[in-house]
Amino acid sequence: MFSFYNYVLCCLFMLFFSSSLYISMYCFLPDFKLSNAYNINLTCTKAASIISSRSMDFPSTQFVPSRTMGTYEPIHQIGMWGENFKSIDSPNISPSMIVDVANKLENESETTSHELLAPSGKYDQDASKPLDKIQRRLAQNREAARKSRLRKKTYVQQLENSRLKLIQLEQELERARQQQGLYAGGALEVGHLGISGAVNTGIAAFEMGYERWMEEQNKLICELRSALNAQTSDIELRILVESGMSHYLELFRMKSGVAKADVFYVMSGTWKTSAERFFSWIGGFRPSELLKVLVPQIDPLTDHQILEVCNLKQSCQQAEDALSQGMEKLQETVSATLASGQMGQGTYLPQVAIAMEKLEALVNFVNQADHLRKETLQQMSYILTTRQAARGLLALGEYIQRLQALSTVWANRPREPA
Amino acid sequence: MQEAIPYKSQMAARSRLHNFLEGAVNDGGRRLVTNGSGTSVTKLVLENAVIVFGRRGCCMCHVVNRLLLGLGVNPAVCEVDEGKEEAVLNELSIINSGGIQFPAVFVGGKLFGGLDRIMSTHITGELVPILKEAGALWL
Repeated sequence: MFSFYNYVLCCLFMLFFSSSLYISMYCFLPDFKLSNAYNINLTCTKAASIISSRSMDFPSTQFVPSRTMGTYEPIHQIGMWGENFKSIDSPNISPSMIVDVANKLENESETTSHELLAPSGKYDQDASKPLDKIQRRLAQNREAARKSRLRKKTYVQQLENSRLKLIQLEQELERARQQQGLYAGGALEVGHLGISGAVNTGIAAFEMGYERWMEEQNKLICELRSALNAQTSDIELRILVESGMSHYLELFRMKSGVAKADVFYVMSGTWKTSAERFFSWIGGFRPSELLKVLVPQIDPLTDHQILEVCNLKQSCQQAEDALSQGMEKLQETVSATLASGQMGQGTYLPQVAIAMEKLEALVNFVNQADHLRKETLQQMSYILTTRQAARGLLALGEYIQRLQALSTVWANRPREPA
Repeated sequence: MQEAIPYKSQMAARSRLHNFLEGAVNDGGRRLVTNGSGTSVTKLVLENAVIVFGRRGCCMCHVVNRLLLGLGVNPAVCEVDEGKEEAVLNELSIINSGGIQFPAVFVGGKLFGGLDRIMSTHITGELVPILKEAGALWL
């Protein structure tokens, strides 16, 4: 049974002779179009067809032409394949080429096999030995193609993983750079590259969210500014104030989410600029400090309002003191737990485990601090009129913008060469 | 307040002063111990104008205490041991027909809330009148 692969290999032999036949072809075949000469492959295929139509004196050139041009494509690709035959394991070979060839072969073997009519059995015996070799080589080719396809797949997967790791590493590096003064030499950050994927996702999501929040915040500030300058009605101002307030609530929601993922991230204030971090108290601003900054901007206040604001300042201060003392106690507890037992033997897993439990309270502290900020903000909105509240929100927004500008200028200040 | 809080005014004042001084030396409040039995806990709740239940060494409980001390209140603090937590919680929920979490603050014999509520009411200025009403503050 004349197999397709024999057919294919015959074509290979054809190609070896095709170039020498080219000129003779040209002479013998007036209908041989010159334009095809530029397309070597087409030349080959045409030559093959023409050769087959004539009686051949080439050994083992058993070849049945097919009516459709489509079957000649595999020949073209097999030609390339044959050339790459020897260097199939070279890394320079584009796997796609081999894949294409192999795929097309497999796709078209069905279509071509049935078109191979009248296989001539008598040629088999003559060509059996080389045909065996040929078959073996073809099988090897198939194997090689399959292997290279698998290799390509694993390579691509590795690339994707490396890309993700690179992004994570870049984020870590950014954070470590920003925290130079804050953490002990950034070694802690570099040390925990083994952060779980969930934590990193939480942090990455928060950072993206915060960027968007900041853009939205700047827009709100601009709107407030123009509204106050333009003497808009109280009703419109109320809408702006409401959206400003709910925008802050949105930020607190985001913070509480990321605090569950990594409370140290929130405590370090990495997502903020350096000047903002300078004022950081349990993951944000001190409400009493902000009140001190903003109240003079909201003048004039009625006597009643002045009294209420004074009370609010005092309550804030007391609440902050209580939380600060709680934090001190937490530090003492964690420190005492870690330092318990004999130190110096290098075994400390039980202490670390207990300290971990104690440290969970830190999430509560961050939540309580944010809760205090929220309550203070809302109490101010009750005490103040709409216009005053608008001025207050504008002042708060601009104060933070000034802090951010300070950070940028500080970072870019001309430094003396070390 | 209509509840019968069994105070004997002179004795109470003297003991309060004594306890306040004591409390100033410790890190807050009068320390009380409970064995988790029903009557003991209920008694504590009723006997004290302000009482804070919390786990031993809990930092949030510490925050509540410092805040109340800062206001001039001398809260009774009941530190619950780990083993007895559940019993005390159960007992307190019976008194209160509701869920309770530590730290839990009882004012005037009734559940007031946790740290959240203390903070919110303090900021809005409602906490001090409530404490005065309960007799925890008398200035």
